[in-house]
Formats: sequence, C-alpha cells, structure tokens
Amino acid sequence: MSLLEVEDLRVAFGASVAVDGVSFSVDEGKVVGLVGESGCGKSVTSLAVMGLLPKGRGRRARQPVQAAVSEPVDGGLKTAAAAPQAIPASGGRGGRGGADVQGRAVFDGVDLLSLAPAAMRRRRGKDLAMVFQDPLSSLNPVVPIGRQITEVLERHRGLKGDKASKEAALLLDRVGIPDPYRRLREYPHQLSGGMRQRVLIAIAVACAPRLLIADEPTTALDVTIQAQILELLRDLVETEGTALLMITHDLGVVAGMCDEVNVLYSGRVVESAPVRELFRKPTHPYTIGLLGSIPRLDLPIHEPLTPIRGSIADVIRWRDGCAFAPRCDRVASPCVDGEPALVGAVHAHRCVMAEEVA
Amino acid sequence: MSTEQTDPHVPAQRTEEPDLSSAVSDAAAPPLLEVEDLKVHFPIRRGIVVERTVGHVRAVDGVGLSIDAGGTYGLVGESGCGKTTFGRAVLRLEEPTAGRVRLGGDEVTALKGERLRRYRSKMQMVFQDPLGSLNPRHNVDMLLSEPLKVHGVGSKAERRKLAVETLDAVGLPKSVLERFPHEFSGGQRQRLGIARALMLRPDLIVCDEPVSALDVSIQAQVMNLLDELQDEFGLTYLVIAHDLAVVRHLSDRVGVMYLGKLVEEADSESIYEHPRHPYTKALLSAVPQPDPEVEAGRERIILKGDLPSPANPPSGCRFRTRCPWAEDICAEVEPEWREAASGHKVACHFDL
Repeated sequence: MSLLEVEDLRVAFGASVAVDGVSFSVDEGKVVGLVGESGCGKSVTSLAVMGLLPKGRGRRARQPVQAAVSEPVDGGLKTAAAAPQAIPASGGRGGRGGADVQGRAVFDGVDLLSLAPAAMRRRRGKDLAMVFQDPLSSLNPVVPIGRQITEVLERHRGLKGDKASKEAALLLDRVGIPDPYRRLREYPHQLSGGMRQRVLIAIAVACAPRLLIADEPTTALDVTIQAQILELLRDLVETEGTALLMITHDLGVVAGMCDEVNVLYSGRVVESAPVRELFRKPTHPYTIGLLGSIPRLDLPIHEPLTPIRGSIADVIRWRDGCAFAPRCDRVASPCVDGEPALVGAVHAHRCVMAEEVA
Repeated sequence: MSTEQTDPHVPAQRTEEPDLSSAVSDAAAPPLLEVEDLKVHFPIRRGIVVERTVGHVRAVDGVGLSIDAGGTYGLVGESGCGKTTFGRAVLRLEEPTAGRVRLGGDEVTALKGERLRRYRSKMQMVFQDPLGSLNPRHNVDMLLSEPLKVHGVGSKAERRKLAVETLDAVGLPKSVLERFPHEFSGGQRQRLGIARALMLRPDLIVCDEPVSALDVSIQAQVMNLLDELQDEFGLTYLVIAHDLAVVRHLSDRVGVMYLGKLVEEADSESIYEHPRHPYTKALLSAVPQPDPEVEAGRERIILKGDLPSPANPPSGCRFRTRCPWAEDICAEVEPEWREAASGHKVACHFDL
C-alpha cells in the first residue's frame, strides 16, 4: 500500500471539468511527477489532494459510490481506465465558483477527501505539506519570516516562545539560509526569490511531513537558483524519506528528480511510467510531442524542433475519443471512436494507436 | 527611412533577398549592429524635499558586441544581469549613459527627436508578455496598421494588404483581422506580437524572452516561426533569454552576461561545447536535461548565494563572490576581456 493513493479523482468547476479521472500513487521516499502544460489539471489535482479547493455547495462526501471503482491497485497507478464515462453532467452540484470533487485520495489509509475540514486542518502542514510556485504571494507580506514558521510549530508541535524560535532557526539553517537568527526578524520582501522559496520549504518541512507536494517549485527561479532548490528537495527525500509529489511542466526537472512520472493531458493521465522507461520509450504521441518540442543542449545544434501543432484549445471530450486527437499527427478513426483506455501495468499509456505507432 | 539607400556602408541589407549580400560578401560586409561599451546607469535618489543622487544601479556596465546582417545573437543571463536593459538601450527605449550603437553604419545613439522616431522603423521589438504588449481595445487590423500609420506608410487599403501578408507569414488566417487580443491563445498572441514587429519590415528585431511565457509545445512552434521569418525577410535578431537551450537553438553567436557585463562570448557551438568562464560552466551544468541517464551521471556546479547588488558590484571580477575557483587576484584585478581562442572571448584570469 502506497503512502498516497489517488483514485479516479475528478474535479469540476461548474460545467468545466479540470480533472477527469486521475489515478496515481506515491510511495514513501519516492518522487512522483505530474507533468503537463497549463490547463492539464496538474495543479488542481494537487489542490484537491490538499483539500484547498473552494467547496462547491453539494459536497461530495456522501456518494463516492461510482467513483471508487473497485479495482486492484497493487501496481499503484493507472486504474482510472475502466471508469465508464466522463464526469456525469455535474449541473447544480458544484456551486458557483466552488469545485465539485469526486474520487478518493487515500493517505495512510484515510480518504482525505472525506475528512471534515477540522480533521483535514490537523493533518495539513503536519502529515502533508505543500510548496507553491510563487513564494512571494504565498508568504504573508506583513508578518516576519520567523513568525510564519513558528506558527506552524506552535499549531502542530506545541512549541512556544524561545523553543519555537530556536527550532525555526534550525529549520532555516537546514534549508541553507545563512545567518538564520537575523532572517527570522526579516519580512518576505527583504529576501531574494531563492531565499523565499527556501523559507517556504522550511515551513513545509517544519513538522517533518510524510508527503510533500511541490507545485512548480522552481518555475519562478533562475537556473542556478533552481539547481540549489532541487538539490535541497532531493536531499530531503533522501535523508528524511519524505514522499514528494512534484508538479512541473519541465521535463528536464522531471528527468533529474522523479522516480515515476504521470503525463497529464486535458485532465487525464495519458502516460505513466518509471522515469527512465518514459524517456527511453515514450509511447503516447503527446509525450513524444513534448519531448520533440524541447531544444536540448546535448543534441546537435540547429536540429529542427518538431512541435505539436495547434493548442490545448483544440480539444474533444474524453468520452467522445482521445482529447489529444485534434493535435495528433497519428490520428486515425479509432481515436475518435469512444473513450481510449489506459493500458499497461508498469508503463501505461492511453493511446489506441500505440501498437501501430511502436 | 531617408538615408539608407544612399549610404555606401550599407550593402543592401534592407532588401528582401538578403542572401545575395550576406552570403556572397560575408567577409567584407560590416556588421549590421555594432555596440561599443554601452552603459546604462540608473540613479538611486534619496531625500524628500531635496533629491540627491546617492549612487547608481549599473544595470549595463560596458557591453560591446556586433551582429552580422542576417545573423542571430543570443544574450543569456539570469534575472537582474542587465540583458533586457541592454536590449532596450540598443533600441533607445532606454537612454544609454555612455557608449555607442551603430545600425547599418548610422549612429543610433546620436539621433534625436524626429530623426530618431523615423529611424525606429528599422528596429523593432518582440516582447515577452504578448498580452501585456497588445492593446486590448485594438483589433488585429488596428494593431498591425498602427506602426504603418505612425510612419506614414501606404494608404488604408495598402496597409490592410500588408497586414494580411504579414499575418500569413506568421501563420494566422486573414479572418483574425477583426478579432481582439483576448480572443487568442498565448502562442497566437506571440505570433501577433511578431507580426506587428514585422509590419515595417525592419532590419533588426530585438526579441526579449520571446518564448518564456509559452507552454513547451507552443515554444517550439514560435521558435520555428522565428527561424522561418529570418530566412523569409532577411532579419537580424538579438535574442534575449534566460533559457540556454532556447538561445542555443536560435543563435549563431552567444554572449553570457553577469551583473551588467559580458563574461563570455563565442559562436553557439563552442560556447556550449567548451565553456571557458566559470559562470557559463555553472549555468550550463544547472540546466536540467530531459534525459534521466544524462541527469544521473551529471556533475553539477551548484553556485552559492544570489546575485550581488548591481548598485555595489564586487571589486575585481564581479563573479568572484560566487565562483568556486576564485583566488586572491580575482578580488583585486578586474579580468580583461580577452580572446581565449579564435572568436571565443572571455573575461576570466584563468584558463579553465
């Protein structure tokens, strides 16, 4: 049993479906990547797991019946396949502006999505924590760094006063911030982007969480600072055995960090595999397209790129066929004839043409 | 607009068939853009009633480079290194504190008022944020004809014809003329930004982070487009970006900037194959590669700390505070800008 098992997660905002049946799992001491471009649902997935989405009026809690499709989940991921159809017209259930969340996110035996808000609050920040993309807007601008760290320590570990500040300084030291006692008194605007991201990580790891979710943790940073932060995250996973769910659009970051990768497109996993497997033998045309779109430092110069045509606006609903079909070069009639299933165990893909492609 | 045909120093780089001039007379042709020792300092002012200048942010502190007609120069560096300010100063969108910029033999830095305004038709810019740089209340027709109107080119019908041609060149259909920026996706907006820069058929286009706001699959489309347009219109690019792989892909020659100065410059092949400056080495080793095998076996140079303040740069070599190889001399003497190998310039005391 994995530490976190997300099963058939569906999130809809009114009529628009952001996450359309996503399943994956994260083991202790492993780094699992959710990869995709803007609008693929990767951030919404992480927010749903953390219980940070604004609730719609009709809360899901009472009918996860059809969501929890009973399937063997031993291999981890890729169970969503058999879910009969795309989200049932959710009309009315997700209140205006709220999210309608269905499915399960089982963390250490407990379905996080069914927890009451107070119970979730006790876990959030303690058992599972999150690092966001933009450190400036995730820190309170009018509260000193120190206070923002001790707040977590007080709430979850009962530390107060000097003890708490001492622990906070240790944490800052742990994430590589020099002169931690001075920094504790400073405000977020006095720190550089890289430092702020370190502070966020310090807050996230303050209670030694078992699962850390990092949502584009280095996207706002320069490459040399990105390298520092990735090194720090890698170190956390290795020394503390923290499970890390890494959300990113950067396949380079994925290659360097992750053990398992799930590629998302239009709210669904289109391919999932161990990292080496995925890069050695990308199977879904979207994954292949992504890899062909990146200029690489280790390939001959001026090698032409092979971009994916169109944009994510060119989409069809999963229940009618493959959402990627309008942009796919290998599209054939089976692609638009009903829902493609996720096939394969270790290396799974959602492409009906995969055999012909390979 | 007025002098270029008679200027003997400018061999026909304004024609739409640049191959004749740039390919045949490669050695003889002077570079299209020459920048000498350009400096842009921003004053730091203090005081409420009486403002005093208490120092300067040396955003660009003596950068010189040249770009051949039809070539692409890539300028890379991290945020705060002065690359964007440099690009803007070349176009005189920022007033240079010192230094000279020559475009096709004309001294841009000496131009003033109306002459400068007219000269801008030869040099255009593509911005990073395509939505922020397009007026939300103008439709595509207005957006694209605006530069022509400003420079008094053509009649209304001619302007429209040119707009349609340019849209076609950037891969957008004629039908978008009546639509507004918000109706487009990020990639299409960037195509519009490029189309607008092309409308006056300039010689030089400064592309400031042309793809960094776009998704990976769209980045590749726009990069390929920039390549095609360069051939089609005989453009010369100055590409400013933080992404080394993007710069490598687009450029013939690459310069690496750190804290307002160039630290290394070479053709794109050799700078990536044999980086000589420690900063370039560190940058290259920090770029994650989309290949787990490569990533696992890589030796990373992790730089310590952040960029020092450009208001008060370190003495001697500016990179010494973060350099893993720094020695005493680096704090005392500023390294000279020297040619370490043919066409490969570097500002470092050592041969690394």
